[in-house]
Amino acid sequence: MAALQGIWSGTISFSLVAIPVRLVPAIQPGRVTFHLLHAKDNSRLSRRLSCPAEDALIPPDEIVRGYEIFPDKYITMTDEELESLSPERSRTIEIVEFIDIREVDPVYFDHPYYLVPSKGGGKAYQLLVEIMRRTNKAGLARFVLAEREHLVAVTSRSGALALTTLHYPADLLPGEVTSQTRGAPEENEDVNMRNTIVRMTADFDPGKYSDDRRNKLRELLIKKTKEHAVVEAPAPSEEAGPPDLVAALEESMRTMKERS
Amino acid sequence: MSRTFVEMEGARLSLSNLEKDLYPSYGFTKARILQYYRRIAPFILPHLKERALTLKRYPEGVDKDFFYEKRCPAHRPVWVPTAAIPQDKGEELTACLVNDLQTLMWVVNLASLELHVPLARASSPDRPDAVVFDLDPGEPADILQCSRVALILRDLLSRVGLASYVKTSGRKGLHVFVPLNRQDATFERTKMFSKTVAETMQKHYPDLVTPNMAKQERIGRVFINWSQNSASKTMIAAYSLRAGEKPLVSVPLGWNELEELSRQGDPDKFSFPPADAVRRAEERGDLFAEVLKKEQTLPHM
Repeated sequence: MAALQGIWSGTISFSLVAIPVRLVPAIQPGRVTFHLLHAKDNSRLSRRLSCPAEDALIPPDEIVRGYEIFPDKYITMTDEELESLSPERSRTIEIVEFIDIREVDPVYFDHPYYLVPSKGGGKAYQLLVEIMRRTNKAGLARFVLAEREHLVAVTSRSGALALTTLHYPADLLPGEVTSQTRGAPEENEDVNMRNTIVRMTADFDPGKYSDDRRNKLRELLIKKTKEHAVVEAPAPSEEAGPPDLVAALEESMRTMKERS
Repeated sequence: MSRTFVEMEGARLSLSNLEKDLYPSYGFTKARILQYYRRIAPFILPHLKERALTLKRYPEGVDKDFFYEKRCPAHRPVWVPTAAIPQDKGEELTACLVNDLQTLMWVVNLASLELHVPLARASSPDRPDAVVFDLDPGEPADILQCSRVALILRDLLSRVGLASYVKTSGRKGLHVFVPLNRQDATFERTKMFSKTVAETMQKHYPDLVTPNMAKQERIGRVFINWSQNSASKTMIAAYSLRAGEKPLVSVPLGWNELEELSRQGDPDKFSFPPADAVRRAEERGDLFAEVLKKEQTLPHM
């Protein structure tokens, strides 16, 4: 089962500490799902993409992505171009700073996961869980999952490390406010680990982070627009009539004009 | 509300507000409107018969609010014929069929001054009986440019072997009908045909014609509205009144008559008040009769 095996494995690290972990989902939405069937014979229906201009089903190798810049005007993007923008798959969750978890407005929280210790990581893992619990700290990291770079918060929850993906500030609608209260670091058993955390503690300043891939994508779109790489969807009215009819009308029109 | 009861072919009909002036700046009461439709009934009924009527009602007169009604009002007398018309999502709509004089009088009494019907009959809603070219002049173009386009259109259609018939819209435009009256006609084909013809016309007369609905394109040109060739669209019936400032009628014309009017160059001569419409019909018969009868096939489709 995916929950036990994990959807990703690697290490969580900060400063000189590196702990082998696996990422597992924290929720499994209990949705009741339905499929669409053909009422006559109960065949499972398939969705296919069709082209209105040709009135035909389109095979996957004839499909490209287009970003609409004006109605019916697009910048196309190939799979290769999109891949070139994707971040490298990473094997580490590198914590870059610690913040007071109480500073983070819950509106930032997106999707919850757990990190569970892999072989050989048990002891350091338990220590980190305990220190983070006592200090109420959360580690901020950048982490690539499913070809997207996420900003994540690692916290201590119920004796385990919880990882929550965060929304980028640019994704939040206006009106959000973050509290700026700041808790003082507390006494700690492990002096080294505690001191490192204290040294790396900062105010939660989400404005520092943005979605790199999206920024790069925007830059590429702007560049291609300037290079006039815009394509246009055919207007439905430009669809030509039956060739024989067009020819017969043209011929009639020509002889009519000659006689007048 | 004043009421008058009349007996008609054994049906008892209650007429209301007969003295109400529905064309106030002209002076045309509901009594006169009913009178017009009674006189024109032998000519208009064949064009309404077995077609789902869309009522366009002006209860307070032509200068006040109006509303369309596709559904046959629920308070209808039992003798009003109706048809179930399939709609989107499997729903049905009960429409009035104006098959007889008493039903005509009843819908007109509801202040439905304009009578609109589809190009298909209720029993075969997907089979058009005709192709229509709805010619609509965009100012400053007027009915004179419109008649020029209609005459070119007639010649073009005749060269591909199709007879066509023309009527005034009762406003500023003209309607050219190509009768088909065949089992195999479909809206898909009539729409494609009319659009292709409109585009050919535009190619040769770009300053006179546009097949494009965009307002900008229509300024000073005649818009050939080919998209009327659709099961969901309706056209004003031949001999119906229009709810303009003056009571004017959508009147069928002979092509030679249109040529003559076009030569004379007076836009006002394209207007036909109800008395003229009745006199013309009684003297010359229904110039649109062939639209309901003549069998033709669209070429190269």
